[in-house]
Amino acid sequence: MTRESRYAEARALQGHRAGFASRVVADLIDLGVAWLLGLSALVAGGVIIYLVTGPPFHLPVLPNWLDAGAGGVVAVVYLTFTWAATGRSVGKQIVGLRVVTEGGHRLPLWRSFVRAVLYVFFPVGLLWILASRRNASVQDLVVRTVVLYDWAYHPADEPPRSSARP
Amino acid sequence: MVQDNGRALVPVATELTGTPPVPDGQVDLPRLVAAAAFGLAVEAQRRSWDAAADVMGRFGRPLRALAGPAVAVARGSVAVARHHLDLDGWAARGRAEQRRAQEAAAGAVRALIAGVAAAVIEAIDLDEVMARVDLDRIVQRVDIDAIAGRIDLDAIVQRIDIDAIAGRIDLDAIVQRVDVDAIAARIDLDSVVARVDIEAILARVDLPGITEQVIDEVDLGEIIRESSSTMASETVDALRVQGMRVDGLVSRIVDGILRREGQRQTGPLPDDPQP
Repeated sequence: MTRESRYAEARALQGHRAGFASRVVADLIDLGVAWLLGLSALVAGGVIIYLVTGPPFHLPVLPNWLDAGAGGVVAVVYLTFTWAATGRSVGKQIVGLRVVTEGGHRLPLWRSFVRAVLYVFFPVGLLWILASRRNASVQDLVVRTVVLYDWAYHPADEPPRSSARP
Repeated sequence: MVQDNGRALVPVATELTGTPPVPDGQVDLPRLVAAAAFGLAVEAQRRSWDAAADVMGRFGRPLRALAGPAVAVARGSVAVARHHLDLDGWAARGRAEQRRAQEAAAGAVRALIAGVAAAVIEAIDLDEVMARVDLDRIVQRVDIDAIAGRIDLDAIVQRIDIDAIAGRIDLDAIVQRVDVDAIAARIDLDSVVARVDIEAILARVDLPGITEQVIDEVDLGEIIRESSSTMASETVDALRVQGMRVDGLVSRIVDGILRREGQRQTGPLPDDPQP
């Protein structure tokens, strides 16, 4: 596959609704990013404890209920702000996707928050992409959002261009 | 005065040399007689001058006293004569004749000198003269240092107008005359190159310094960044395209399982969507 033919294929699909595989890959990457963020928060807490109480250094051990909850909170916060800001989290940036409203606009913060909560606590909803004729997950149907192929860098308010680089 | 001049012009007896001898030893009588007569005449003139001088010494004063009236009479008669006999005209003619005679004499003298000079030059063998000249001795006598010391080179150089000289020089014409190809053909490049001590030149060159400069100029970091970012971007693009393909494949499989007809509605969003 030459570079030109690859780009021609990608250019043709810009602005189309993304399929299951791309979105799952992006979400897995986001899961890893959220995990790294949680771990960073734990390390930061450990450093603070170390500075306050002295050696030895150790990561703080959270109670189980808080551990699960804290992970979810980190993921929700991360996804909420990235989707509301640019429409693309780290995972979606890497895979070349963008979350927008059905009208093609940037998500308001509260819709972004609801979508993130649904994502984190009801990930099975993603499977609906397979069945949906419009490649919509349960979260998309609830919050009325769309995930598009969008490689280009542009302000989130702009609709995606139908061209990919170069 | 007249006496002194006359005495100076007349040779005295002691200055006279004898009759030149005839080569064969015989005496040339006519010439001897003529010379003796000339000698006698000269001696007689000298003695008469002496006698006149004595007479003038003794009777000069009374004579001058007596001569006063005589001179006056003579002057009066001369004035009369000048008037009636046209003495001035005769004198002018006489002076003209005298001048002509002087010019003729001068011309004759000049011709004589020219003839003598030509004869002398003919007689002189210049080669022989030059052969006698000892140039080495002459040169030895010349004190070149002294001559050089006298020369004021600064003054000479100050007088020279170099700009004017340079202005006169037609460099284009000179350069056009130069046959560069011929000069280049004469140059033996191999011998020139053979003389060059490349190792010495290399020893002078600060290779490490130059290398550092080159590395400083070349932004290796930027090149590496660019190439790596290009590689990364290519990799990401490839991943994205693969994701798109897998998406299409998965959709088709699912649609096949669900026995759906037609394509999925995944097209781009309408430009002006209904709220």
